[in-house]
Amino acid sequence: MQTALQLLVTTLQIGAVYILFSLGLTLVFGIMRVVNFVHGHFFAVSALMVGVLVPKVVATGLTIQSAYLIAAAAGILVSLFLALIVYKFGIARFLRDLEGGFILTMGLALVLDGVFLESFGGGVRSMPPIIEGNVTILGAVLTTQRLVLCVVAALLTGGLYWALSATKLGKALRAVAADHEAAMLQGIPYHGLALIGFLLAALMASLAGVLIAPVSIVTPTMGTDYLMKSFVAVVVGGMGSVPGAIVGALFIGVIEAVGGYFFDASTATIAMFVIVIFVLLFRPRGLIPHA
Amino acid sequence: MRSLHIRWWTVGAAFAIAATFLVKGPYAASLVNLVAISALIAASLRFGMLIGEVSFATSTFVGLGAYGAGIATTILHWPFLIAMVLGPLVVIGISVLFGWVTLRIKGPYFMLIGFAFVEVVRIALGKIAFIGGVAGMVGIFPPHFVDPWMPTIVMAVVTGLLFSLYVIEKSDFGKVLVAIRDNEDIARTVGLNVLSLKIACFAIASFCAGVAGSLHGFVNNVISPDDFGFMLTVFALAFVKVGGESSIFGAVAGAIILVLISSFALGLGAAEQFVYGGAIVLAMLFLPQGLAGLPWRKCLPARWAKRPANLVNTVAR
Repeated sequence: MQTALQLLVTTLQIGAVYILFSLGLTLVFGIMRVVNFVHGHFFAVSALMVGVLVPKVVATGLTIQSAYLIAAAAGILVSLFLALIVYKFGIARFLRDLEGGFILTMGLALVLDGVFLESFGGGVRSMPPIIEGNVTILGAVLTTQRLVLCVVAALLTGGLYWALSATKLGKALRAVAADHEAAMLQGIPYHGLALIGFLLAALMASLAGVLIAPVSIVTPTMGTDYLMKSFVAVVVGGMGSVPGAIVGALFIGVIEAVGGYFFDASTATIAMFVIVIFVLLFRPRGLIPHA
Repeated sequence: MRSLHIRWWTVGAAFAIAATFLVKGPYAASLVNLVAISALIAASLRFGMLIGEVSFATSTFVGLGAYGAGIATTILHWPFLIAMVLGPLVVIGISVLFGWVTLRIKGPYFMLIGFAFVEVVRIALGKIAFIGGVAGMVGIFPPHFVDPWMPTIVMAVVTGLLFSLYVIEKSDFGKVLVAIRDNEDIARTVGLNVLSLKIACFAIASFCAGVAGSLHGFVNNVISPDDFGFMLTVFALAFVKVGGESSIFGAVAGAIILVLISSFALGLGAAEQFVYGGAIVLAMLFLPQGLAGLPWRKCLPARWAKRPANLVNTVAR
């Protein structure tokens, strides 16, 4: 029972970050039909900014919490700026071109890998805890910091879900994702919305990065690792589907937590990819197909 | 059947093989080997693209070729020639099976399956202890009397396979493959067994990747699972995209140019990622048909400037 609870908590913890990450990936795919390989870099750059800036701001005498908030804001801004450049000079020319977009973003990802290694160095960073202390929930122990992470991620996911289902912008985004030509006939500006959708996705990735930075080690190549697993989440859930991405991300969380506990991390990764091969073979549109 | 330009191929291959006799020193030899093997991998990836599929599994098949050479040489102590063909033969079997299961789906889904497959095999290879685990295998040496001739052997094998791929592409079988890419359903209506044809194409491409892997094992002497991650295919894709996928010469030219540029840039201290990533991005943005798509023929005398029909089709796609 103790183990089961601990695993459940770990699943939610891992799943929360993957949800934020996968939502952006699936949104971009739904609206632009682009499999975005640079998504991990929007995530990594904000985490790296936090990792680099927090010690510097703390050195000026501010508390670690306010240092974290300043660094997080800077990280998100840098990430959004990067997304704007990537969209304007790259992806905007490859909207709805699956293969072209795939290859282009792969090349961009390579270039950005190089840029990050040059500018942040290859070293591994870890941060002092932002919030001290542990909490016990039904006998399962976790750090307060991770609990806050989970709650914030859950709130953000809920907020996004609400925004997509209830606001005018969300409806327009969903309309474009369902049938962009019909949406354009109704006067929805596709290209403007594609940019907004792309920035929204980058925002979520950078929020995930900011949230993960204090509880994980930060490296310039961390994005790729998360990207691979989020691909699995998005494919299993159904590319372009918002509920699918949530389900898929929780699924990744379960495999990583349970597989990592009973076997080891690499076995869990193998299992994930084997499952994704089967999903692609038998339900290529995923468990919850996108409209 | 159109002319196979056998005269030009003979001259080119003879020139390339003769050039390896002039190679002196380990650095030049390793560069020649790297160029030749990269060209073969690029041509293999491009051959799969004849049916319109980008096969990430190429990385894995190169890896299996290399591991075949490694296991046969260092564990089983089998002779060189058998070690050379062991990996590629295993690759044919696996690729037929893999193709039979996965070639029913297309485009990005096929790419993603290949992607997942590469990751699974890479991680799994790292968990098998008797082939060295994550550290990989060392000491894959060709016999002593062969060793000084390795660049020549590599070049001969590579040009031979490139010519075979070219002949297959120009044959009726190759035209059928392109027809499948252009419209699979029409190909089916004239009674072609599309799946078997796709598997055949995939197996041929994978075999070449396997041979490239065996060669890589013998010239590199050291292999590890991480050498055969999906990045290998991304690099090959860069060769094809920069050179141009409309012709096998595009893939080969892309490999030669990018490998030379990147080894030059590495010498200057730049990272590999910038060269390959930058090449892919620039080619995608500014040279959608690659170098082969540039209007070379305008520079030629008028009597050569007729564009062959099948090239027009490919460009119009």
